[in-house]
Amino acid sequence: MTDSQTNLLPTLPASGATAPAIPVAKPSFAPQANPESVERAIIDQSAKGPVLTFFTTAIFWLIVSTFLGYVASKKLHVPDFVPGPEWLYSLLGIDGIIRSIFDTNFAYGRAWPAYNTALIYGWCSLAGMGVATWLIGRLCRVSIQAPGVLQFGAWFWNAGVAIGVVMILAGYNTGLEYFEMHRAARACIFLGYLFIGMWGLILFRYKRTAAPYISISYLVAAFFLFPWFFGAADLLTTTQMPGVMKNIVNAWYQGGLFNLWFGTLGLAAAYYFIPKVINQPIYSYNLSKIGFWGWVFLGGLTAMTKLNGGPVPAYLVTLSIAASILMIIPITCLAVNFGRTMSGHTGKMAYSPTLRFTYVGTVFFAIAAGLSVLGALRSVNSFTGFTTWDYGVKHAMLIGFFSMVMFGAIYYITPRLVGCEWLSRTFIKLHFLGTAYGGATIIGLFLIGGLATGFTLNNPTVDVSEAYKLREFTFANVMQDAGAYQAVKSYIGYTLFGVAQLIFAVHFIFMRLRIGQPAGEPTLLANPGEAH
Amino acid sequence: MEKPSTLFTGIFGAFIVSTTAMVLIPHSQLSGLQPQIVWEEGQNAPSEVYPSKIEHSLGHRHGERIFVENGCFYCHTQQVRDPQFGPDIERGWGPRRSVARDYIYQDTPLLGATRLGPDFANYGWRDADGKRFWRNEQPAVAATFVRDEAFIYKHLFNPRVRISDSNCPPNPALFEKREIGSGVSPDAVKVEDGKQWVPTASARNLAAYLISLDRSKELKEAPVAKKEAKK
Repeated sequence: MTDSQTNLLPTLPASGATAPAIPVAKPSFAPQANPESVERAIIDQSAKGPVLTFFTTAIFWLIVSTFLGYVASKKLHVPDFVPGPEWLYSLLGIDGIIRSIFDTNFAYGRAWPAYNTALIYGWCSLAGMGVATWLIGRLCRVSIQAPGVLQFGAWFWNAGVAIGVVMILAGYNTGLEYFEMHRAARACIFLGYLFIGMWGLILFRYKRTAAPYISISYLVAAFFLFPWFFGAADLLTTTQMPGVMKNIVNAWYQGGLFNLWFGTLGLAAAYYFIPKVINQPIYSYNLSKIGFWGWVFLGGLTAMTKLNGGPVPAYLVTLSIAASILMIIPITCLAVNFGRTMSGHTGKMAYSPTLRFTYVGTVFFAIAAGLSVLGALRSVNSFTGFTTWDYGVKHAMLIGFFSMVMFGAIYYITPRLVGCEWLSRTFIKLHFLGTAYGGATIIGLFLIGGLATGFTLNNPTVDVSEAYKLREFTFANVMQDAGAYQAVKSYIGYTLFGVAQLIFAVHFIFMRLRIGQPAGEPTLLANPGEAH
Repeated sequence: MEKPSTLFTGIFGAFIVSTTAMVLIPHSQLSGLQPQIVWEEGQNAPSEVYPSKIEHSLGHRHGERIFVENGCFYCHTQQVRDPQFGPDIERGWGPRRSVARDYIYQDTPLLGATRLGPDFANYGWRDADGKRFWRNEQPAVAATFVRDEAFIYKHLFNPRVRISDSNCPPNPALFEKREIGSGVSPDAVKVEDGKQWVPTASARNLAAYLISLDRSKELKEAPVAKKEAKK
């Protein structure tokens, strides 16, 4: 064994998070280390640069997006909201500027798309690609060659998101939801992706294992489908299209983005980390195969349900409803597979932060996917259409499922890259509580607020003229009722969620500065054997 | 994991299926849409073309740009649904459902997906006498509201002045402070310290754009709903 390999070894034993029930022994160094661990350490070391770049920038965008989300949510019930200590602004003589910025650039109509862009293209995509890079190295047993290429791509992507968010706040908006970024920003993102995605697929080509990991299928699907959906949507929405075609392309792209990019990336991570941490194989390989093919084929067909009743060809909506109902099959396969794999091991969630985040993430996945099936049915859609219900389902996917799984993965991967363990179990616990309860509050209030307004807004059986007479029911009244949900969403949901993410960001910065527990004993949420 | 060839073929197939069903087929279906033309016998020009390209003047496009820039479309949709999907028509937002043909000259149709504010598909809907029909209130209340440019300016400056419980954001950036000069402008939204707040070109174009929104003309695929007494 060479010296350089020996030097890598201290990063190895962090895998202790896998078996909490067994007292973790002090790692025994060089001579006894098995070749597999050495190989893993070398692969981890090769992935260190790009993966940490992805994580750090992703967490920056997470903080930015949470702030924007709070502002956007608050603007819905306090339209002239200006955050911060106003006495300080007036002391500095900038209160006029601050007010005009928050009245114009951070008004709901700009803060909301900026929030979505920072969340989707900033935090979620970058974290997902970081985890995917590390997973490709691990699963294919290849060192990341020329990691500079990936880092280069990551910075390009970040530049794109930064341009996009700033331009949206400055008023450049394409008018298409979840695709608001200016074309310059999209070009940067696409260019960055070419470096990242192509490199990922090239590494896949040089895989040195034939182990049947379903995660690889999901990763390949994600890396292949994203540029197609993104590139096609970009080209189609910038060419001359007949009328509502742009809206149809936009809806189609959203289906690809949520199901085939975030869905597949998140499932790849969940399929890797759950069996890894509990040290058990996946319950059924065949179920996971059905789940995979069902998800990939139907995922791109379900998006038109949001155009229900709109000025589009009716068959599109019908097809999407049918596809959504068929989605029950892959969703059931996935949920049963995760649930059965975890059965008998749920106790380990008391110890392992990775398992706690990832498994709760998969529960959110089942909820999000189930709600999108439910919302597709015409009878349900007649209550939920045009309300915040759709935001709730999308947030369940993004911050319930995807972000949770990514947090779990980051808690697992980072110690193996930086060579020390997470500083504080309290920080991790607080992060989990804030994310789970804050996130659930945000999701729940979008959904309940949607149902509450939708019943009167959409219900064809409500006689509006009678309702006007009986309950002084005007549109503004309905929205004022909805304001209560928005208030709880900002004061409890986004505040809890934001505080948790700040704790997480500080914790991650400590890791980057190598302030933490010494490598060797993973930071568990409770000591094995301790009552919890 | 599958064999790489199976995997790639399958994923490629999934993309092709999705693109064909969701993009290519609707494109071929919609690309043939033409405006509805009424051409009377013996005339050398059509008497009626709907939708018409002529409405899309420079000011109109600028107004639309302001509408998009400020994200108005996140709360204000521009589509009226058939009565079987919701009470849009009954509410006073339009005389008939919106169809694909209404949008053929729009660069990016702002259909919208969420209604935190009323629908604007027919904000400027009026009859031959110029009488306005679009409303969002109880008919009795609506009669006292005139939804003209002056109303729009007041609403843009501070929505809560006219509708006390509105959650629409104020847009003071669309107004500028001017000397009163020869007299208070009829469009002034606020007079303060000897100065008046008057709408900028952006606000004027936005108001003109909103007033121009009218998708009420009867189309053969979307007949104007007949008033029926609901009993």
